[in-house]
Amino acid sequence: MKNSLILSILLFWVPASMCLATEGILNQDAANEEKAKKLIQQVDDMYRSAASRATMTMRVQTPNYQRSMTMESYTIGEEKMLIRILAPKKERGISTLKLDKEMWNFFPKINKTIKVPPSMMMGSWMGSDFTNDDLVKETSLTDDYALSLDESSEIYTITLTPRYQTVTVWDKIIIKIDKEKHTPIEQAFYDEKNRKVRVMSYREPKQFGSVILPSVLEMVPLNKEGHKTLVTYDKLELNAEGVEEDFFTLRSLKRRLR
Amino acid sequence: MLLAKLAFRNIFRQRRRSLLTGLSMGGGYILLALTLSLVEGSYNNIINIVTNDHTGHVQIHKEDYLDRAGIFKTLSRDSSVETILNSEPSIRSWAPRIYGAGLGYGGEKSAPLSIVGIDPLMERSTTKIFEKVREGRYFRNRIDADGYYPAMIGYGVADMLKLSIDDEIVLISSGADGSIANDIYIVEALIGSRDSYDKMTVYLPIDAAQDFFSMMGKVHEYAVMTGHPGKAQELTRLLSAAISDPLVTVSPWQVVEETFYKSMEADKQGNKVTMGIVVFLICIGVLNTVLMSVLERTKEFGVMLAVGTNRLLVMAMIVLEITTLGLLSCAVGFVLSLPLVYWFTHVGITMPQPIDMGGVIYDTMVGEMGIGIFTIPVVIIVGSAAAVSLIPAIRAAHITPLDAMSDR
Repeated sequence: MKNSLILSILLFWVPASMCLATEGILNQDAANEEKAKKLIQQVDDMYRSAASRATMTMRVQTPNYQRSMTMESYTIGEEKMLIRILAPKKERGISTLKLDKEMWNFFPKINKTIKVPPSMMMGSWMGSDFTNDDLVKETSLTDDYALSLDESSEIYTITLTPRYQTVTVWDKIIIKIDKEKHTPIEQAFYDEKNRKVRVMSYREPKQFGSVILPSVLEMVPLNKEGHKTLVTYDKLELNAEGVEEDFFTLRSLKRRLR
Repeated sequence: MLLAKLAFRNIFRQRRRSLLTGLSMGGGYILLALTLSLVEGSYNNIINIVTNDHTGHVQIHKEDYLDRAGIFKTLSRDSSVETILNSEPSIRSWAPRIYGAGLGYGGEKSAPLSIVGIDPLMERSTTKIFEKVREGRYFRNRIDADGYYPAMIGYGVADMLKLSIDDEIVLISSGADGSIANDIYIVEALIGSRDSYDKMTVYLPIDAAQDFFSMMGKVHEYAVMTGHPGKAQELTRLLSAAISDPLVTVSPWQVVEETFYKSMEADKQGNKVTMGIVVFLICIGVLNTVLMSVLERTKEFGVMLAVGTNRLLVMAMIVLEITTLGLLSCAVGFVLSLPLVYWFTHVGITMPQPIDMGGVIYDTMVGEMGIGIFTIPVVIIVGSAAAVSLIPAIRAAHITPLDAMSDR
């Protein structure tokens, strides 16, 4: 009898309590992940809202050349985006349309629309240090990565590791978010050898309408010495009126700038 | 003196025998001179094809552009390089160039291709590009009424993109400033042939190429022509000394076309064996006739020795006789071969099947005229005749007069 009691404790209670314990950790993890997910979504939506219109200046610095371009961009949600280059004159009118996970470039001088093939997704966008994939976001940070959240007194540090089936070149992405302002500070990208390959930092917060957002995005590839791309938001209109769905079609992509 | 007189008289005493020996030596001379002329001519012809087609005699680049080409390794057009090129008297002409690669579109077709920017006038006076225009007309460095620059394309490009004269070709690439280079050009000429090395090349006027690649006032290469390919190394030294910028590299065609040059040198080595065989055959002929003429006169030498002539003198007389005969035959051979070599050099043999070298047609096999062509055979013929005459001369000098005269 005594024996059977011990046996039943061993057989039943121990695994049960172990189960409960793991479940507790799991619950905590899930809550953590949920929180991280929310934070990332917040950051993602920050510059977009339901519909946005922005004017930006992009400065590309390399050891061989420096270049500056101004452009306007329109977005609806996360899926639709249209960017048109306004200056310099040589590139005026070159446009990029993103629909869901596809992307096209339009070149007015030669009147050609060229789809960006999947193989070119990691290629440079308009000669900058941003890749086409940075614009398309083929991989969703919240769905395709496992998230873990660390908190310090001022900063949330979210570590993203790709899920088993996710196709990506990054082995790890670390996002730092300001706890108080809920604005991003830095995103660091690591390659498969756990080397920090590039860092995007968010700087110079500025009032855009009712919100304060970092107005400068700086992308520094660490494996290319002397390279740097700065994107400055000159104007940003969130929940902009007049940005319609039919703006984001291949036909409107071909609309020429006057 | 007496010796020379004797030797000379001996030659004319037996006219038929001397004629026969002389004929073999003179014939050998003509054969050697012609072979040398054609061999040298062929090599020079090939070198000219290579240097005239594209390479030039000397090229100037930034740093190691030749080994590791890069869009940023450029030379500035307003640097001292062009001033030096203009002021150096041994330079016949020079041409600036820009190289790049891109994607070409013709209608819906696309193909990767190489893009070369050239100065239409300077390139024309430097290389044979003008002669390579097969269809259409050689382009000019200017925009047409609709604002388009002209382009000349290789046949590979024309075939792949289904383009012909006056069609539009769209080029996309990336500029030196990271911008996306994209523009439309009008096809004005088809260049070369379907086998040309530049069949997948689009030629643009240099201004158009500079604009396309966003590299105003810059070039990747200068091709320089001097009077003769042989002067390339001398000019290279001269230019290297004149250009003070240590980042500028001057290379002769031997370096630019290193593979070609090395295989040509190897081929030349192989050719020396062939030449050796020709010389050997001629030597055998000379030996044969010389030996015959000396053996025929065994009795005569016997008499000479019997009356007390020094053995060494007999030997010297025979060698002198043959050498004189050799020189005389060479003189006759020279007179006969001169018009022949001249004809080969200036007219040449028309080949039944013309050779197309990158669109430049070479249909005649030409020779080369030079001091070496005529003097080298003299040395070979007279030298070998003197050498082979030593054998019968020694034999004649050691003969016993009694044996010689009794004809045993």
